[in-house]
Amino acid sequence: MAACTNYLLTLSFHHANSSSISIPKFSTRLHFNRPSRVVENISAQITCSATTSSNNHMTRTSNILGLIDQADAGLSSTGKFGRFGGVFVPETLVSCLNKLAAEFNFILHDPQFQGELAVALRDYVGRETPLYFAQRLTDHYKNSRGEGPEIYLKREDLNHGGAHKINNAIAQAMLAKRMGRKSVVAATGAGQHGVATAAVCAKLSLDCSIFMGNVDEERQSSNVLLMKHLGARVKTVEGTFKDATSEAIRKWVEDLDSSYYLAGTAVGPHPCPSMVREFQSVIGKETRKQAMEKWGGKPDVLVACVGSGSNALGMFHEFVRDEDVRLIGVEAAGSGIDSGKHSATLSKGEVGVYHGAMSYLLQDDEGQIIGPHSIGVGLEYPGVSPELSFLKDIGRAEFHTVTDEEALDAYAVLCRLEGIAPALEAAHALAYLEKLCPTLTNRTKVGDLDNSYCLVGTAEGPPCPSMVPKFRLVIGKETRKQAMEKLADKPDVLVARVGRYALLCCPEGIFPALEAAHALAYLGNFARPTLPNGTKLERPIMHGHF
Amino acid sequence: MVGKEADPAAALQRPDSFGRFGKFGGKYVPETLMYALTELEAAFKSLSTDHEFQKELDGILRDYVGRESPLYFAERLTEHYKRPDGKGPHIYLKREDLNHTGAHKINNAVAQALLAKRLGKKRIIAETGAGQHGVATATVCARFGLQCVIYMGAQDMERQSLNVFRMRLLGAEVRAVHSGTATLKDATSEAIRDWVTNVESTHYILGSVAGPHPYPMMVREFHAVIGKETRKQALEKWGGKPDVLVACVGGGSNAMGLFHEFVDDKDVRLIGVEAAGFGLDSGKHAATLTKGEARLPWVGPEHSFLKDVGRAEYYSITDEEALDGWRALSCIGDISCTGLSREAVPTLPDATKVVLNCSGRGDKDVQTAIKHLKL
Repeated sequence: MAACTNYLLTLSFHHANSSSISIPKFSTRLHFNRPSRVVENISAQITCSATTSSNNHMTRTSNILGLIDQADAGLSSTGKFGRFGGVFVPETLVSCLNKLAAEFNFILHDPQFQGELAVALRDYVGRETPLYFAQRLTDHYKNSRGEGPEIYLKREDLNHGGAHKINNAIAQAMLAKRMGRKSVVAATGAGQHGVATAAVCAKLSLDCSIFMGNVDEERQSSNVLLMKHLGARVKTVEGTFKDATSEAIRKWVEDLDSSYYLAGTAVGPHPCPSMVREFQSVIGKETRKQAMEKWGGKPDVLVACVGSGSNALGMFHEFVRDEDVRLIGVEAAGSGIDSGKHSATLSKGEVGVYHGAMSYLLQDDEGQIIGPHSIGVGLEYPGVSPELSFLKDIGRAEFHTVTDEEALDAYAVLCRLEGIAPALEAAHALAYLEKLCPTLTNRTKVGDLDNSYCLVGTAEGPPCPSMVPKFRLVIGKETRKQAMEKLADKPDVLVARVGRYALLCCPEGIFPALEAAHALAYLGNFARPTLPNGTKLERPIMHGHF
Repeated sequence: MVGKEADPAAALQRPDSFGRFGKFGGKYVPETLMYALTELEAAFKSLSTDHEFQKELDGILRDYVGRESPLYFAERLTEHYKRPDGKGPHIYLKREDLNHTGAHKINNAVAQALLAKRLGKKRIIAETGAGQHGVATATVCARFGLQCVIYMGAQDMERQSLNVFRMRLLGAEVRAVHSGTATLKDATSEAIRDWVTNVESTHYILGSVAGPHPYPMMVREFHAVIGKETRKQALEKWGGKPDVLVACVGGGSNAMGLFHEFVDDKDVRLIGVEAAGFGLDSGKHAATLTKGEARLPWVGPEHSFLKDVGRAEYYSITDEEALDGWRALSCIGDISCTGLSREAVPTLPDATKVVLNCSGRGDKDVQTAIKHLKL
């Protein structure tokens, strides 16, 4: 394998030294109750296979490792990553969060839970996801001498639901069940976390409410429909993700005993960021194993898109102590980093407290939240993970930005060259390859893309028209007559029977093609005993609110 | 030893050297295409023993397509189908919906694209109806750097504009066909016309187990990975084989992919489910096998054969039934269901293992489903 690490090393060293811990302007405003928009973070990761870096002298300061160890040691007691993170919440929530943290710590070491989770990840989610060598993309980025890095894509787009979100959703839903909770509350931006949560709640028979901003609902209408098919209640909130998050948390606080707030990304008060990171870290763990199998080494560079940070952390976490692995996060520059319409929290933000944690934040001089913008809806969040804020501060990870236009170009490139349509969020990480690859020497193995297969929100506008039909699906023991009685005061609501299609959606959280639904429909014909003519069957009907 | 009744399914080589499955199949094409088909068959036969090719294909299926797909125990569905005494079949789903592009189609598309490359072809053509096969073809052409032309009926293009957009994004040329009814069969005619004209440079990726020999055999073999994995996974999970396999049948590729591995296992029941559309008597259906009309071109000859020899059973489900589970359930006892003469289906014994091919994911169908799921 080509030894190109000296050059890489220099770059990394430069980055390590250039960052210094500065004292940020500290905002004392607690934005906990402000409407906020949470970004559905879909990371793209480019893994570089390490060549002989481990044999080279890593002259990078060991201060970084020391700081990481220190942060780790303090995390469980303080809930902080260095000075970031924490538990900035009203008193009512503190004991609830403590209970959650205790339960989380327990299941981390419980073989039964881990065993069940492993089966669910394998059979339901479809893990492990491949580490795919993108030959044509690699060729595309070669220079005129035919040199360039090797590009691998970590295919989180192949998960059930089409994104990495489900890794976290299934684990947390299982945790909620274990804690005896009956209902789940969540907020979603691009809809991926909403779909993942609705699916796992269907599978685990948990009642599910998803909060979504009306602006996002329009942009991601097919995801809204999918959530409804999966049996979730979708509650519309004025605004975007950050507003939906605030509403969801408010709802959760109303019923702390029986409801569970399923955080979709690595923000919020401790233990949420740690939990989400832990459940997403399967991405990095698999990558390490696959890299070893494929080229007998480690990646050189990991690249991931950053909205709030869940997919980035999912990939990075495994390699945080491998100082020879470069960690690059790519944020949304939207209309341009100086345009004021972007979502580049780590590049342009300042430290503050938001949604219960201290992190970098897009806020103005008066501490008011600046509304973010990106064509990748999942990247629009004014805050960011406290752990990523920490990694930036200590110089372990670097963060860059990419505009809407650049992301769209990258989207088209991946479609044409590899036949993979990435989520626009992931396309941001891909777009960064344009700038990164010319700087990398030959045979460097460059990272993976965590793609989410998502076709809405392109430049041509959402392909699916928005439809909010007024009807109610009735499921379960309730008969149609009973449902009609309940809805007596809502004459414009139709009560619909739900068929096999919904039958599969709701109990299992799987949405089959209508073609496959034919096969499923036939199940009923022999799964029940033959009955004499004229036997009256109570109709099994499915229940969900709109 | 008592003479055993000859098993027609096992006795014959499927297909025979003329590409026939019993009286079905064969090669009824213009003379110009005969050579191309012969060449294709020879290439396919040699590649099936070529380890390099198999290794390359396996790598692509694993890293690009995302195989193997899980065999998922559908716990809640199983609960749903339990009888009052708590007994009932165990329902497993073969998750072809998790493949790249969201359906089983890509298994065949990648293999044929690889085959085309081996044959030195630079250009690929295909026909598509709803667009799923078109998207799968365009996808693999992008991946392998092959020129791609998809024929699609102008009517279909209007209804499936999202898929048209996808294909173009993937770098394919989508040619509108205006002749006839401007739908799938017209697109197919155009595609064949193109192939006849450009047969030297072009490979035609047929999407299903239909068409002239060697396509039904090839497409079956390329999808057979579904059944092979299922056998292995069944053994791992419950130490046995499936008892019943259920799959939807359009042209029949996903069903053949699941069934083929088990055709010689007489204790495994094979059930294909067709689309009865608005009902078998409505004239608007696609239930070729159930209705017994052998002349309709679209179902694979092997399915016709398996039905004929009684190895597989075929039933149909209407649009409404596919969407409306209640109707299907109540039809078990009620023979007044429109257009369906349903045989009494015996109760499945407790713990029967049913594997259903979940051949594709349905986010493409949310709009359709939402439109129909009302009173």
